[in-house]
Amino acid sequence: MTAVVRSEWVKLRTTSVPWVLTGIALLITGLSVLLYFVSHGHSGGGPNGPGSDVGFGPPHPGYPHTVQQLRDLLGTGLGTYVFSLLLGVLMITTEFRHKTVTTSFLVTPRRPVFVAGKLVLAALAGAVLAVIVLGATLVGAGIALSAKGGSFSALAHQLGAVAPGMVLVFVLFALLGVGVGSLITNQVAAIIICLGWFLILENIIQGLWNWTAKWLPSGAAAAAANVTAGRRDATFGLFNWWQGSLLILAYGLVFAVIGSLVLARRDIT
Amino acid sequence: MTSAIEVRGLSKQFGSVRAVDDLSFEVAEGRVTGFLGPNGSGKTTTLRMLLGLVSITDGAATFGGRRYDQLEHPVRHVGAALEATSFHPGRRARDHLKTVALASRIPMSRVDETLDIVGLTDVARRRVGKFSLGMRQRLQLATALLGDPEILILDEPANGLDPQGIQWLRTFIRDQAALGHAVLVSSHLLSEMEETVDDVVIISQGRLVLETTLADMAAQAGTGTGMRIRTPEIQRLAQALNAIPVGWRQIAPDSLVIDGATPEWFGPFAAQHQIVLYELVNERGSLEDVFLRLTHGFDAPTPGGGQPAPFHTPGAPS
Repeated sequence: MTAVVRSEWVKLRTTSVPWVLTGIALLITGLSVLLYFVSHGHSGGGPNGPGSDVGFGPPHPGYPHTVQQLRDLLGTGLGTYVFSLLLGVLMITTEFRHKTVTTSFLVTPRRPVFVAGKLVLAALAGAVLAVIVLGATLVGAGIALSAKGGSFSALAHQLGAVAPGMVLVFVLFALLGVGVGSLITNQVAAIIICLGWFLILENIIQGLWNWTAKWLPSGAAAAAANVTAGRRDATFGLFNWWQGSLLILAYGLVFAVIGSLVLARRDIT
Repeated sequence: MTSAIEVRGLSKQFGSVRAVDDLSFEVAEGRVTGFLGPNGSGKTTTLRMLLGLVSITDGAATFGGRRYDQLEHPVRHVGAALEATSFHPGRRARDHLKTVALASRIPMSRVDETLDIVGLTDVARRRVGKFSLGMRQRLQLATALLGDPEILILDEPANGLDPQGIQWLRTFIRDQAALGHAVLVSSHLLSEMEETVDDVVIISQGRLVLETTLADMAAQAGTGTGMRIRTPEIQRLAQALNAIPVGWRQIAPDSLVIDGATPEWFGPFAAQHQIVLYELVNERGSLEDVFLRLTHGFDAPTPGGGQPAPFHTPGAPS
């Protein structure tokens, strides 16, 4: 198994996929942090809305200031778990797109082993992506915060509270990606379905039936990461972190198992 | 002679099409077996079933008694270079081989060794996307050789090679057999393989047509041969031939063919009758003739509407 995973690592790093996805994830995270400071810069309001602390109470030292706000700020890049998902999807679909799957199956004819190798590497890669995004957020937001008179160390202090959930979510979504990819091996179709789901469909479903929010992958992700504030659906209640994690894991495993079974029967011509 | 590959009653059903039908043959160690048949006769499907890439509808294909997916690190026992296998264009040649070597626990030194064997050392660090078809074929062979397997399966390896490349390939295949390895090499052109193979397995429409040695096949080709003679005295020659029990036919105003004749017999015969000769050609039936006769008609389009033959219907690989 370690041999297969090492081989998968060479496969992954010798394509542009992980580097491009990491780049985009960092770009989006950077813009999100920037947007956070722009929108919260002068209004005198926190995430609870403008005016929530205007004129009353003591003046606050800077933005953001509560523990939860600092955690939310650190978790700004959480949404880029979509790239962890895409990483998993691309790890499988690239093989089909370029027909390298023939060689892969000659090397590893037991197809569940092939999928397992992808799952292990995807989990590792997802964890690394989470750490990179989190690290970039800490540096970017920390500098901006310091510039506004806030405390860098206060932000860094919350790292331990945010990092485990973030890493967990990225890992779980990478697994889900491999599952989706093994089921939908057409690269373009798989990417469109994933993006369509997370950018459009999920929002529509959630908007129509609020109660579904906690059952949907992004709701489960928010629960798993324990980052709830600022989410529209938060008031409808999410699962706690381990319930959310189990839910994403279940989604991932269902796709991976069905995908493996479909893949095992697939003729590679 | 031990058989390295054993195929028993192998069948494949693609929807309503029987692409391979009850196919049985063996591939011997230390010999090169040509797997021949017209395009769409089921060669590639058969090879892919052997290698576990295409599911088997019926029958079995084994390597020393074991299915491909039952072999421990299969690429160390069976090296395969298949058509339509591709490479990631952004990956360097050496990295491609590295992925295979790592998964099969093959030492990295073997990667460079293999690149050297196929003559790709100079371009080892180039991206495969920049490779010519011939270079890809060589990289394909390198992939097959990487595990130093005792069995090689090559699907139309000569496609895309220039004449020097084909010559190189022939030597390469013969060398492999000389090492005691079993080589199964498919082709739709017998002429391409004539100088390389020891045994032939010919299929048509997914069924076995002939399994024999090349020598046997050559003997078959030999029957029905004769001598073609061009002479200005064709009338006199015809009269002379009619006087003896021998079959002949005129093929041109000044030429005829005598069945089963040899120069050793005809030379003195012509001298005896004092017939002037312009041309005297030993006409042997070629292997290609036998091959075409055996597979005759099956590669042609089906009558009516110019529809392609059944094996080219969607869903069935050609």
